[in-house]
Parts: sequence; C-alpha cells; structure tokens
Amino acid sequence: MNIIVCVKQVLDPEIPPAKFKIDPAAKKVIPPPGVPPVISVFDERAVEAACRLKDKQGGKITVISLGPAQASEVVKHAISMGADEGFILQDEAFEDLDSFGIAYVLGRAIQKIGQYDLVLCGRQSADWGNGQVGSILAEILGIPVVTLACDIEAADKKLKVKRIVKDGYEVLEAPMPSLVTVSTELGLPRLPAGMRIMIAARTQVPVWKAADIGAQAAELDKAKAHTEVTGLSVPSRKTECEMISGDSPGQAAENLAAKLAKLM
Amino acid sequence: MSPVSVTYWGIPGYAIFWVLFAIAAVLFAQRLYFLFRLMRLGKAENRFDRIGQRIKAMLVEVIPQWCNLKTVTRKDIAGIGHALLFWGFSLFLISYIIFIGLAGGFGASSAIEGTNFEVVYFSILDVAGVLVTIALIMAAVRRYIIRPERLEASAEAGVILILVFFLMALNVAVVGFGYAAHDSNASWPPMGAALAGYLSGSGLAQGTLEAVYQAMWWLHYLVIIGFMVYIPRSKHLHILVAPLNILFRPLGHKVVLKPIPLEEAEYFGAAKIQDFTWKDLLDLYSCAVCGRCHASCPAQLSGKSLSPREVVLNLKKHLLETGPELLAGKAEASSESKAKAMIGDVVTEEEIWACTTCGACQEVCPVGIEHVRKIIELRRNLVLSQNKMPESAQLMLRNLQSRGNPWAGVQSLRLRGDWTSGLDIKVLAEGDKARTLFWVGCTGALVERNVEATLAMARVLKAAGVNFAVLGDAETCCGDPARRAGYEFQFQMMAEQNIATFKKHGIKEIVTTCPHCYNTIKNEYPSYGGDFKVVHYTQLIADLIRRGKLKLTKELNSILTYHDPCYLGRYNGVYQEPRRALQAIPGANLKEMDRSKNNSFCCGGGGGLMWIEEQPGTTKINQMRLEDALKTGADTVVTACPYCLQMFEESIEHKDIKDSLKVKDLVELVEAAMKRS
Repeated sequence: MNIIVCVKQVLDPEIPPAKFKIDPAAKKVIPPPGVPPVISVFDERAVEAACRLKDKQGGKITVISLGPAQASEVVKHAISMGADEGFILQDEAFEDLDSFGIAYVLGRAIQKIGQYDLVLCGRQSADWGNGQVGSILAEILGIPVVTLACDIEAADKKLKVKRIVKDGYEVLEAPMPSLVTVSTELGLPRLPAGMRIMIAARTQVPVWKAADIGAQAAELDKAKAHTEVTGLSVPSRKTECEMISGDSPGQAAENLAAKLAKLM
Repeated sequence: MSPVSVTYWGIPGYAIFWVLFAIAAVLFAQRLYFLFRLMRLGKAENRFDRIGQRIKAMLVEVIPQWCNLKTVTRKDIAGIGHALLFWGFSLFLISYIIFIGLAGGFGASSAIEGTNFEVVYFSILDVAGVLVTIALIMAAVRRYIIRPERLEASAEAGVILILVFFLMALNVAVVGFGYAAHDSNASWPPMGAALAGYLSGSGLAQGTLEAVYQAMWWLHYLVIIGFMVYIPRSKHLHILVAPLNILFRPLGHKVVLKPIPLEEAEYFGAAKIQDFTWKDLLDLYSCAVCGRCHASCPAQLSGKSLSPREVVLNLKKHLLETGPELLAGKAEASSESKAKAMIGDVVTEEEIWACTTCGACQEVCPVGIEHVRKIIELRRNLVLSQNKMPESAQLMLRNLQSRGNPWAGVQSLRLRGDWTSGLDIKVLAEGDKARTLFWVGCTGALVERNVEATLAMARVLKAAGVNFAVLGDAETCCGDPARRAGYEFQFQMMAEQNIATFKKHGIKEIVTTCPHCYNTIKNEYPSYGGDFKVVHYTQLIADLIRRGKLKLTKELNSILTYHDPCYLGRYNGVYQEPRRALQAIPGANLKEMDRSKNNSFCCGGGGGLMWIEEQPGTTKINQMRLEDALKTGADTVVTACPYCLQMFEESIEHKDIKDSLKVKDLVELVEAAMKRS
C-alpha cells in the first residue's frame, strides 16, 4: 500500500496560557522563545494510522509537510515512527496561505509523488483548528473523503473506516484511493523505537519549492484568497466562585440544589 | 599406615581410591564443562582489564571474607558464620589434599603421617572443626527455627549442613579410631586423642578398632568425593564460582551498561538467555540463594512481585533448561508451545518495570551479582524491539523525544532559562566560553518545588564567589530516564548532543544538583567522548565550607535526618560530604535513619519510576521511606536529589503531616544558615 501522510508542525500546545502571545496588528502568534514546535497531535495519529496499515499490509509511507525549514523535524519524527521518506514544501509563496491555498499546495505535491492508495491527514491542525484542508484536498484530488476516523483497515483495494459520530461511531467502506482524516480516538501513537530513531536523525529531508511541484503563482495569490483573518485576540476569561454554605452537609447540598435549579 | 595401602578382598586400596576419584573427577569436570559451555553462549565482554587490580580486589574480598563481613548488621550476623565456615573449611580442604591426596593416594604417607606437622595441623583442625560446627548449628537454627524472611528452608541447604557436619565428625573419628587402633599415646590433636583414650579403655579388640578405623576413613573419603560431584550440581557451585565472579566485577562504576552499536540488528536488548553477556551468566551460577537482595529490594519490601533473587534464580533455571538445546545448535527451542519466553514467562513485565535501579541488591550481594543491568537489558528489548512499556513510561519517553525533557506540559511552566531572570547569572550564548557549568537538570528547572532549590543553589554559588555559567534553553535532559527505561537510542542522541554543547563552550567542570545527572555525566558520558570533571553540589558546598568561602552563622534549631539518594550514595560513594555540610550548620542536630548510607532505602523515584505507576494494590515506596524518617523524630528531612525531594513532598502531603515534618534540599538549609549581608 502506498500511503501519503500530510503533517504540520505547530506551536507546542502544552505551553501555559500566560506564555501565549499574539501580535494583534499583524494578526499573528508570537512563538515564545526557546520552545521547540511539535508535530500536530492529530497529524501524529495520522502517521500512526499509516504505520499500523504498513505493519499489516506492507508498503510505503511518504510524509509531506508545508512549513518552514524547521518542519523537517516533524518529517523526521514521522520517519522515526515508521514512515519511509518525506519532503517539506517550503517557499515564500507558501507563507500565510488559507486552507484552500494549503490544500492546493499539498495537492500539487501529491500529484508529483504520483501513485498512492490512501492520503491521511489529521482531522484539524492543533493550532488554527479549521479542519478544512483534508476535505478540500480530497476535492482537489478528486477522491472520496472520510473524516474523523478512529480506525482504518484495508483489504482487497477497499478501506473500512470507523468514523466518530456524536453518540458512537459508524463504519464506512471507501474505495482506494481515498483521503481519510484521523482523530485522536485512534489511540496513542507508537514510541519511535529500534534503529528508526537513529535513521531519522541522520535523514536529510529534501525541500520542494513552488517550481518543483508546479504550483502556479495565480493560485497562490493572496489577494484572491478565499478567507481572510480580520482579527486575532486572546479571550479574557473571568471566573467567579461562589461558595455555597449550610448548617450541615445535607443543608449545604439542599442550598446548592436550589441554586442550580434557579440557574438552569 | 594409610588405609589406601591395604588390600580389600583382593583389591588394592590404591585401585579403589583412584577409581572412585576418577569417577568423581569425571562427573565433576563434566558438569563444570557443561556449565562453562553454557556460559560461553553469552555475548562477549571485556572483564580482563587491569588484571592485577582485579586479583588483588578478589583476594581481599574472599580470603578475609570481607564479601560477607560487610553485610553483617546488628540484626543479621550470618556473615560472621559464613566467614567461620569458609576459613575453617579452607583448612580442611588443604588437609584433604595433603593427608588424603598426597599421603593416601600418592602413597606419601610415611613422609607425612606421624610427623609433627601432621599433629600440629590436625590440632588446628580440631579448633577449626569446633568453630565450623558452631557455625553449622547457628546456620541450622537460623534457617529452620528462626526462619528470617530472606532464607528459604530448602533441602539443598540442609544437605550441605549435614554433609559438612559429617565431615567434622568423621575427621575426629578417623583420628580417634586410628590412634586407638595403632596404640598411639599422642595427646594431640585433643579431640581425636580424647576419643582414642576412651576407645582404648573400652575393651574393643584391636582388629575391630582397625576395621572401624578403615571404614571411617573410606566413609570420610566417600563424603569428600561425593561433595565433588554434588557441588557443581547445586547452589553450592558458588564455592567455585563466586571468587571468579568477584574477580570479574566492574572495577569502577557499579552498573555497567553497554552502548548499543549502530549496525542493523535483528533486535535489541535481551530477548533470549544468550543475549546476556558471559558475565551475566556467570552471575547466575554464583548465586548462593542467601536472599539478601530480596530482603533489601524496595520493590519487594513494598509488596511488588519483583524479587532480585527470583529474577536471578529464574534466569538460571531458564539457562539450564534451554542450554542443552542451544548447545546442540538449535537457535530456538524446538517446539513453539513448550518454548518459554524469557520476557513474560521467566521474568514478567510487571517485575521488569518495578525496579527503581536503586542498587541495594548489588550493594548487599556477597558474590558480586549485577542485578540492575539485567533488568535494563530486558527493558531495552521491550522498549526498542517490542515497543511495549507501561503507558506512563511511554508518555514520559515521548516527551523526552519531542520536548527534550521528561516533564510533559510542565516544560513550559518555567522555560529552561526562565528561572534565571532577576538573578545576575551568565546564560551561555552562541560563541561564549566558560570553565565551570552549573548543570541544572530537568527537574530543577521545570518543577516548581525544585526550582526553589535551584535558586538557592545559584544564590549560594554567587555568595561564595564561584564563577559559573548556565546553559539555559540549550540544556536538554541528560538522558538518564531514557537510559534507565531502556530507551537507549534516545539516550545516546541526548548524550552526544550535550557533549557537543559542552565542548562548544569549552566547559571543563560541571556542577549539578541532581545525582542522576551527576552519575550519568560523570560515569556514562565518557563512553560517548565526554570527559569532564563532574562535581555534585554537596561536594562543592562541603569544600567551600572547609575553605571558608561559605560561612554558616545563622542558627537552625532543627532535628534533621539526611536521606542518602541512591545515585549519590550507593552509585558514587558520596556519603560524607553532605553530612559534613549539614554538621557545619550551627544548631543542626543530625540523626541517622536505621537504613542510611549504603543501606539507604530508595525514595522510589529512580529507574524511570518517577513517572511509571507502581503496581496497584501495593504500598508506595516513598511512603515506606517516610516511616523511616519519622522514626528518627526529626522535624526536617534533608535530601540532595530532586526526585527524592518530590517523593518526600508527595508522601508528606499524602500523610497530611506538613505541619510536623518538612523536607528540604540540603542547599536550602545551607542558604538559610548563611549570614544575610
């Protein structure tokens, strides 16, 4: 099976709120110094899903990432988990694209790679969380898309995908090739083990520019973008805490119940 | 005249002597050769370096029996008993060679029997025999009546006690009947002579006495050669193997972990018994089942299924079971269904992950078994080849990989350089050089309670005028949690990265507040090209106080008890300096816990256990250690390790005794005692 996984490098979501700063004028996030960025948590699950399929069926996993030069770190991380090779898509023209632009670039890269049976993405990115790139990419490639997958199986050129719905899950059958976006319900990603860590550490990840993948300037024109960020701010949160008291624990419980009844 | 020169029913005694000896010798040698071949299945390891130093160390351990005397405590004096047995029996062994072998078998009896040398030697043997018998009785009473936890009332042990007792008794009987049969008036050796006197007056015919004498002599001989056959087939093999095992002990660092070579291998770590080195297999032979390791293991004592003794014995059994097939050239055991998996059947995963690598087992083992590295080798296979580990370990290792420290989200609570803000501390930037580095370590930079100790350390260093720098963000984990958890490649990468950073800044000396970092950088980084002078801060502080650079004048009215961190104490022998530093504090009243110094009881945080969940349903190790501290009546527990500090804070919180007991890092007390300028 040939699988392509799209991964994104994001600001570490584990930083405390106090460290998270934005530039409201430029509508950009200011990464705190000294914090290494990490692989988007959903994309890591996508890599894990690919590795599980490769464990069962054999095949090849190719990882692509649109980002700065440092994005090679997440490609290497994917290789250490079990991917065979990877590329980063880095070009000035690729900066500040919206979901449509990103999907376009990824689509061009996938077309350059050529043959594939499955494209995997995280259900959304761990920073902006739009959740659109996967579906748009599938449209561009002209393949079916199944979102919010928690389990993927492959047999006889068909995919069986378990998809999360509100109160449980549904199982869908999709042809190959298809695009599937993966959610964290897939489970814990494997710890890179054995020689793979050393192999990944020594890998040089090739960089593809706009010209390498045939990305047209017209498609990347920001003036023609589908979406525009009009404002970026950090929400202020106020919490109030009222202690409900009573003469006895039982009385306090009654008072609490009465209060809740009034609020609901 | 030796009974060997008598003819029995037409067969010369010499023939009987040598035929019996040959049979015993063949059985003895055959078994030893088999065990040797099994041992050779293990991987190579160089334990032959500095052979002169090794021989000297072995002689010191074995001949004065320091190996056993060092384990003697008020509650457990068995080491003394063993020493008596050893010295006594060594004298007997020499007598067998001279008086049975040379005098009997080789017919040199006329030159040896009846001589003053014989009389003197046998008199000494009388004394030795009494001491040995006392030791045997002590041993039997302990094992079968008192029944301490660490000893099993096994048949194997009983057999040896009875056999040795027989030898002692037969020795006297042979002399007694011999003297009586040959009308000797000798009064030495005393016991034999006394028996002879009684027999002479008993009215037994000379012929009877002679017959009994000869029978006793041959019985004595049979028991001795029976020993030869029995010893290599029982745990008493340790008699032969233990001195060798001590000879091949690690000379420097006590837990010798091999770096894993980078060439493609089918798998890593130990999945089969032959994946261990020959020294590991020799360890298995050396075990005398004394159970001291079992009785000092914090995991075992807190109710976990892990017992170092059982690990060693189960591996030994596994080696003996699978050995014959392996020697026959079959790589795997023949039938899949019968094949026992070493990890899973012989040693369970639960046992493997319960070890805190505290080293108490190795410290107390009289025969030099290296338990800890076997556990780590098993972990390496689980983690690197099977990708199996407790979820809590997996989370920690993933954080180590992606964030460079094991502390998860805490990473960013205090970004590594953040604690320096407000203090005038040099943070090394690109191109900077410094001689002395204060290596903070992950816990000291990232966990709130431990940052307090780091700040105290920085202030103390500045007050003492020490010229130092820190790495700030460029400091990644030393790699210790990765290595102890078996995640060796990650450790290697971090080690290489840190060494490169040190070299880049021209660092020569490293001071650290964490014993794990201290141990790793000092003892393990040299294998990766990193040779630096590494100092634990307690050593530095003790030195600064001694040189007068730190003046402790403010009185601290406290009853203190110092908890020896495993990686500072047992692993590196640093016991005195922290105590000297504490005793320099005016008003500090230092009380020792029962289990202190090299017998210190682990806090439960080492070996990756800081992050790995302890077996549910068992006592927490740190809670057990808290009880030790409480028994001293101290109001403050002092420690010199960030994990120990965390573990005590947690157990104190759990027991809800924060008002009566505090835990402090040593540097916090030192700072408090410094005169405010």
